[in-house]
Amino acid sequence: MTAVPALEVTGLTVRFAGLTALDAVDFRVAPGTVHAVIGPNGAGKSTCFNVLSGVYRAASGSVRLGDEELTGLPPHRIAALGVARTFQNLALPPTATVADSLLLGRHRLTRTGFVAAGLRLPSALREERRHRERVREIAQFVGLGDALDRPAGSLPYGAQKLAELARALCMEPSLLLLDEPVAGMTADERRRTAAVIAGVRDSLGISIVLVEHDMGVVMRLADTVTVLDFGRRIADGTPAAVQNDPAVVRAYLGEDAEEPS
Amino acid sequence: MSDAPGTTVVAGRGAPPAKTALRPAWPPRPRTYLWIAGSVLLLALPFYLDRFWLQAGLFAMAAAIGAIGINMLTGSTGQLSMGHAFFLAVGAYGYCAFAGDGGDELTGLGLPTAVAAVLAVALAGLAGGLFSPIAGRLRGAYLGIATLALIFIGQHVLFNAHDLTGGFNGRDVPPLNILGFRFDDSELVVAAIPFGSAEKLWYAGLVLLAGCALFARGVLRGRPGRAMNVIRDHRIAAGVMGVPVARYRAAAFVLSSMYAGLAGVLLALVFQRTVPDYFGMVLSLEYLAMIVIGGLGSVAGAVVGAAFVSLLPQVLTRYSDALPLVAESGTGGVAPGEAARYLYGAAVVAVVLFLPGGLIRLVTRRTAPPKHPDKPTPGTPGPSGEER
Repeated sequence: MTAVPALEVTGLTVRFAGLTALDAVDFRVAPGTVHAVIGPNGAGKSTCFNVLSGVYRAASGSVRLGDEELTGLPPHRIAALGVARTFQNLALPPTATVADSLLLGRHRLTRTGFVAAGLRLPSALREERRHRERVREIAQFVGLGDALDRPAGSLPYGAQKLAELARALCMEPSLLLLDEPVAGMTADERRRTAAVIAGVRDSLGISIVLVEHDMGVVMRLADTVTVLDFGRRIADGTPAAVQNDPAVVRAYLGEDAEEPS
Repeated sequence: MSDAPGTTVVAGRGAPPAKTALRPAWPPRPRTYLWIAGSVLLLALPFYLDRFWLQAGLFAMAAAIGAIGINMLTGSTGQLSMGHAFFLAVGAYGYCAFAGDGGDELTGLGLPTAVAAVLAVALAGLAGGLFSPIAGRLRGAYLGIATLALIFIGQHVLFNAHDLTGGFNGRDVPPLNILGFRFDDSELVVAAIPFGSAEKLWYAGLVLLAGCALFARGVLRGRPGRAMNVIRDHRIAAGVMGVPVARYRAAAFVLSSMYAGLAGVLLALVFQRTVPDYFGMVLSLEYLAMIVIGGLGSVAGAVVGAAFVSLLPQVLTRYSDALPLVAESGTGGVAPGEAARYLYGAAVVAVVLFLPGGLIRLVTRRTAPPKHPDKPTPGTPGPSGEER
């Protein structure tokens, strides 16, 4: 794998018709680290992800991945630079098999076009075989090895979220954006997913940006944390430092509270 | 979800590829026998059926090619097209214009007919390509309305560009001639059966349909098909996964137009005359009915739906005297064509209500992988659960 570039977000501002969803947000994700973006509902976390992946346009500010400027690029160009993401609400076709969904993750790494696929040219078949093998490896990596041939919609919710994570991994990303990867999961599924994410960090060495409400998972996985509230950055630092920041406690629990949950 | 995460995570990249469950080639599955029997039956039909049924079958084949095309666009990519009839017309009239020899005082380039057929398909693709900047940007009902405009433009041109289209009366279709083998009524006796144009075209139609179906299947099951499906199901995710959405939308539109063009060429050859009336709104709606009834997004579904929608009027016409409520055309009762429309209108409603997935679901339901009732699926999004 090529060197993982750093992600540098500076002065990122997003407006929707008068509403400022993100207001001059800065943060930096060092190569190979896990960075969590947390904050109360409506703080702008998902908006931030949507800008990083090119779904929304920034009003101003810059997002740099290594030497590349990401703002202004369409989503597929950003994906081509090695940025993969999962969605807060599943974006997994329910009737397609897990294998097909994961193969979609290989889209940017494969070449087969309409003619080659339609005529089943040897090059297309070879490519398909090779990438199916890699897909199988990745599915085993996240623990979905025996679910490959099942329609994604027939899996339990937690497994579907894992399948989406696997699909993002299939893009062989250098930056992985995970939007609430353990939301809606049972305690057991949370543990498994956290283990998978830790495994990704340890064995692949890629950068991960994580939006998550589950503080246990954030504290366990994150190297650095950015806290957003109403689109503004209110804290930034190590999990322990952020946890005791009075501004963070206020944002989560109101003026008079003492401890974040 | 039975294996422990600890072991699999560590296994990671070096995990040995599991054995793929390859089915032994022999003995063949029952399905293979069905395919062989069906193919033999289709190949033998010209020896037993009269011209009426052969023509009906040829209409169905042409419709099936067109339906496969629109199903790739509407069923697989999720782009509503009401303009399919326009591209059929481009194919049909394009063929006439390329192949015509100018003998009927209409524009004709006098090209060899096989070349003309290929060019006509390319022309339909080109027309789709010209429309694709629009097709790549609009979606849903908006694209449907934009494509509707094609129908009206097409009708206007067909009725008024007299030199090219022959106006209201249409123009004759030069018979296909491949390397000296003429697909017309010139006498050819095979096994004591006189082979006319219908019999000869039957085989050409079968070859074309099989080729088109296999190509579409390859596309849909391969990399382009997966990209098309994700554009339909989760447009935003498609871009994020690295699929250039606008380019794929445009490509699906072009491919679908080429299928329509080929269907138009085949229809023209079967009709032996093209008339503008045929290529109107109703035809476009019929194609949409075909893919809804047969099964959205499935090649086999398109074929089944096309057979159903295009054979139904023929069956009703043939047996109108034996059927209640269906009268001969022009006798005041319900004409067979009308009755067929009522019936497949009802069929569309019935399919949407009771058989989402189309008729093809009846066949595949038994072979589909069983759902796991022990594992509930909370939060399974519906087809519209794309964005909140």
